[in-house]
Amino acid sequence: MGRSSLERPFLCIDCAPNVALDGSCLPHSNCPLDGNCLLRHRGAFIIAGMTQYVIRRFLGLFPTLWVIITLSFFIIRIAPGGPFSREKELPQQVLENIEAKYHLDEPLIVQYGRYLFDVVRGDLGPSFRYLDRNVNFYIFSSLPVSMFLGVISLSIALIFGVGFGVLSAIRQNSIVDYASMSVAVIGISVPLFVIGPVLMYFLSLRWGLLPTSGWITGRNGWVTLIMPAITLAFPYFAYIARLMRASVIEVLHSDYIRTARAKGLHELVVIFKHVLKGALLPVVSYLGPAFAGIVTGSVVVEQIFRVPGLGKFFVQSAFNRDYTLIMGTVIVYSIILIIMNFVVDIIYSFLDPRISYK
Amino acid sequence: MKKTLLVFGLVALAASVAFVGCAREEPAETAEVSAAAEPVEFFIANGAEPETIDPHLASGVPEHYILMGLMEGLVTPHPETANATPGVAESWEISDDGTVYTFTLRDDAVWSDGVPITAQQFVDSWIRILDPETAAPYAWFPTMFIKGGAEFNAGEADAGAVAVRALDDKTFQFETVGPLPYVLGALSHYSFAVVPTHAIEEYDDEWTLPENFVGNGPFVLEEWKPQEQLTMVPNDTYWNKDKVQLDRVVFYPVDDNTTMYNMFLNGEVDWATDVPQGQIDAAKLRDDFQVAPWLGTYYYVMNNERPPLDDARVRKALSLAIDREMLVNTVSRAGEQPAWSMVPQMDGYPAIDGLGEDVAEAQALLAEAGFPGGAGFPELTLLYNTNESHKAIGEFIQQQWLDNLGINITLENQEWGTYLASRRAGEFDVARAGWIGDYQDPNTFLDMFVTDGAMNGGRYSNAQYDALIEEAATMPAGPARMAKMADAERIFIEEDQGVMPIYYYVNKDMINLDAWAGWYKNVMGWHPVGDVAAN
Amino acid sequence: MSTQSTERANSTDQLQQAVESVSLGRDAWRRLKKNTMAMFGLVVVVVYTLVSLTAPILPIHSFRQQVLEHRDLPPSFTKTAGELWYERERDYMLLVMEKEDRSTFSASEQAELDDIQQRIQSETREINGEIVMVHTRRYVLGTDHLGRDMLARIIYGGQISIMVGMLGTLTSVLIGVVLGSIAGYVGGKTDYLIMRVVDVMYGLPYMLLVIILMAIFGRSIVNVFVALSLVSWLVVARVVRGQIISLKNSEFVEAARSMGASTARIIFRHLIPNTLGIIIVFATLRIPAFIMQESFLSFLGLGISAPFASWGSLVSDAVERMANTPWQLFFPAAAMTVFLFAMNFLGDGLRDAFDPHSTNRR
Repeated sequence: MGRSSLERPFLCIDCAPNVALDGSCLPHSNCPLDGNCLLRHRGAFIIAGMTQYVIRRFLGLFPTLWVIITLSFFIIRIAPGGPFSREKELPQQVLENIEAKYHLDEPLIVQYGRYLFDVVRGDLGPSFRYLDRNVNFYIFSSLPVSMFLGVISLSIALIFGVGFGVLSAIRQNSIVDYASMSVAVIGISVPLFVIGPVLMYFLSLRWGLLPTSGWITGRNGWVTLIMPAITLAFPYFAYIARLMRASVIEVLHSDYIRTARAKGLHELVVIFKHVLKGALLPVVSYLGPAFAGIVTGSVVVEQIFRVPGLGKFFVQSAFNRDYTLIMGTVIVYSIILIIMNFVVDIIYSFLDPRISYK
Repeated sequence: MKKTLLVFGLVALAASVAFVGCAREEPAETAEVSAAAEPVEFFIANGAEPETIDPHLASGVPEHYILMGLMEGLVTPHPETANATPGVAESWEISDDGTVYTFTLRDDAVWSDGVPITAQQFVDSWIRILDPETAAPYAWFPTMFIKGGAEFNAGEADAGAVAVRALDDKTFQFETVGPLPYVLGALSHYSFAVVPTHAIEEYDDEWTLPENFVGNGPFVLEEWKPQEQLTMVPNDTYWNKDKVQLDRVVFYPVDDNTTMYNMFLNGEVDWATDVPQGQIDAAKLRDDFQVAPWLGTYYYVMNNERPPLDDARVRKALSLAIDREMLVNTVSRAGEQPAWSMVPQMDGYPAIDGLGEDVAEAQALLAEAGFPGGAGFPELTLLYNTNESHKAIGEFIQQQWLDNLGINITLENQEWGTYLASRRAGEFDVARAGWIGDYQDPNTFLDMFVTDGAMNGGRYSNAQYDALIEEAATMPAGPARMAKMADAERIFIEEDQGVMPIYYYVNKDMINLDAWAGWYKNVMGWHPVGDVAAN
Repeated sequence: MSTQSTERANSTDQLQQAVESVSLGRDAWRRLKKNTMAMFGLVVVVVYTLVSLTAPILPIHSFRQQVLEHRDLPPSFTKTAGELWYERERDYMLLVMEKEDRSTFSASEQAELDDIQQRIQSETREINGEIVMVHTRRYVLGTDHLGRDMLARIIYGGQISIMVGMLGTLTSVLIGVVLGSIAGYVGGKTDYLIMRVVDVMYGLPYMLLVIILMAIFGRSIVNVFVALSLVSWLVVARVVRGQIISLKNSEFVEAARSMGASTARIIFRHLIPNTLGIIIVFATLRIPAFIMQESFLSFLGLGISAPFASWGSLVSDAVERMANTPWQLFFPAAAMTVFLFAMNFLGDGLRDAFDPHSTNRR
């Protein structure tokens, strides 16, 4: 993909989702440069022109996806156990019949060829665990649920994260700053599987304000959205708030803000018109991988609040050795990740005045 | 600024699109409910997501609860005792030698689409579950009973070899492999269900989808939204529809036990099918906590082939050194009974005594085996599948062996798939296991430990035991047969200590029996929803 | 700007790396000392590490010795375990009485209470070779569901969690540094290959990979952090590669090369020390992430094996019992949060200290 010629001396460092598949770096709260690597180097990156860039990005998707499919296909077969293991162990004969039905008795390479052929036709195969419906059905019925919850959560995280981030930055080292940053650090250091049950215990059991669990299409309707959305939003809120604070502080010290202030512009104007725009860049970059992560669901939130989403399958299908369902989730995850990073790049180019298309 | 607005606009747009999309999906369910006059709805928190509702492919407990509402076999379990009572068959005859069963189907037995249920459909159904191409996980169950079933399932004979026939439209007959006394009880299991062969012919694999589903139980499938809920409404064509009191039954899949318990406390479900370990003490104080003995045993399998566990004295010492009373009173705490035998007590079969507990004797046996005071005893590994209760029990036993015998063990938990693979392959020293009986007879607990049995992961092997089990299998019902079983079990437990029984399971449910009638505690843990009614 | 910063650092003495990196370190330390929050973080981290390391000689109870009578005792400075045990049993009996509509203890209940009173007075038990009056113990943070001291379990749990965090980070940093510097320095096909591997691994759902790896290699504390670090070396590799590429054509590397230094020597003696600052920052911020991921694995039941515990496993065990025994959840969660707080502040501080262009520090 010819990325090796485009080097950046400094890159953001932290967890995987923050780096795009094409090798570009997406900053976020833990970025030692507060996301500025992107500011400085993305400009050199998009030079070839929009159309060419889009085509190259799109074509680059397929080999990566193929390698991902191949790799996961063989890795999951190495894991001990199979999809039909049960507490009451099946007699050999019964197991053989089942394996024959699902072609699991064929050589692995034949199974791989068969699978690849099906995937190309858009058929992700039958689930080995949920026998009445196939993988396509499970993925396409649960992905919209996760997406919806994800968008809501991310919006909450964004609104509060940006708000508190800006507030902390302009009132640096004040009570507001310490309070909101403390909440943010709690969001990063208390596991979701604690936040969720604690919320449920107080909001449902102790105060009786909300139903414990369920989904909007069920008997209790929209109120069931509240707890999962808050729980899921919490860590993202924390990241965004910290990211925003650092970013705003950086921008406040930049020359063009000094100039703006020197011109005697009102502080609010400075902040809303100039600071915010510059400071949002790293947040936007963070949104891409965050979105990919959040819309593919969270096993913890979905299990605790009975959300019929996709996230559970990432963990359960691996435990169940439901080979086809594992593959289905991997494929969906990869595609969404790639697309989201791409979308972020596009949005980014609108925000960053230094990037222009020839 | 414009561009900033654009970003927010995009996000808002995405959100609103998703909103609209989901709003459209929402069914008019709430409206329907309010229109009906006080419908009685029964909500169930039902454990894991059902894997299938095809009775021939099902293999789990959540599926069983659902299938008891949707399907009915020749016989149907009595809600109080779980014993067989007439179902689709109104009467039956058993030949004098106990191997030929002839059932007369009732005339008014019809499918939910109005098609009558025929004897030929029973024949086709049973052939279907035994057919290797169906690949039914529970096919082994009918193969234990029906003559020719095992051969057909193994592909060694064709369907004609299976001894099931339709004498006429309403008379169904089958032959068993021997005079098995527990056939009738087993027939209410879903693997002996009759399936709508006409619907399966029409829709093939898709016959279980709500729009295609045809059943013959007290309820019919109304809606099934995977991971969300499965609902059923009374079946108008059910022969015994007068007994059905509920207007709708809703099964929620609930993966998280704490959520399940909270749903019950919050009044969102009427019946929770399990109680989390951490809430047992609090639950026991409530009137709606239902605990009943269950036909099942929690035990540790010891690898009979690995030294030093190949020495019966070592196995006995390990078993003798555990204070099971203390375990059930302080660790599991739900009212489990300590077990020294593999088979829990049942009608006509009092539990054998086993060896009991005696720390001094355990120490003596261990010394005799060459490990006085635990010296030189290798550090064994105790394998269990990841679960809070298994872990607590493992930690307790680890401490007991250390205190009483001076031996150290390592605990190893594996996630489900790996654990099952290790257990099956015999790759463990000691492994946690549990067995729930499939029918009310000691045989369901004992026949799996014969040499090379599929579920005999500990590789227990004793020719004398094998012979006794085989003899008992062909004996007619009665005390002599039970005595033979007891002899076999004494060899297995008291002489060889092939496995280490720990406690007999209890069934834990949350349901308010003042509000709901027709729900009874029974040893099988079967609670047909068709019999449940509001008080 | 970042290129400038490296250049500035390099301009001091490009041939003698040792001298230069010390000055960079000293410079960073001077800046770090000014940052109150970061120093607070450092102190907390040091204290935690010391406590974990000295756990075996601290005057605490055993973390694995069960005293089943003492299960689920609440924290108390003043009351002995015996008193709390008696109260727990009596309170439960009172609740049973209420349920059964009685107003007095039944004979068996009374006998049981008397028996407890008796045993509290006199019972001894041999623990670790010593005869102790077991019911006079005090548990300042309460006990767990098998009657083990929560304080000891939290301290030993911290040992495991901090170890997972540090060793995991170390492993991932090592893999990342080696592969990243090879990719960056050698370039060409090697670079392309390594970077494609990185790309593919990014595309895989992270937890799925960890679960499968744990299933393949079995469960042990070593495998927990090996599995975690196998999927988190990617970022280090990327960072180091970027750094190396920007440095490899600089004058001091040219000089070393002209003096006949081997590739390995150039990478390990000249290039890697130059990237140390950013790696240290990365590592500090990575440790909390590892601890969080370990806790998630514990939630899934893939964490540390019993009777050992980590903060994550203590917290996930206690969540279910939250309503009845809140202290079992609160104390480990608090211990973990404070540590992660400290680690995050320290990481932020180090970042500011090592990255001279950042404006945060003033």
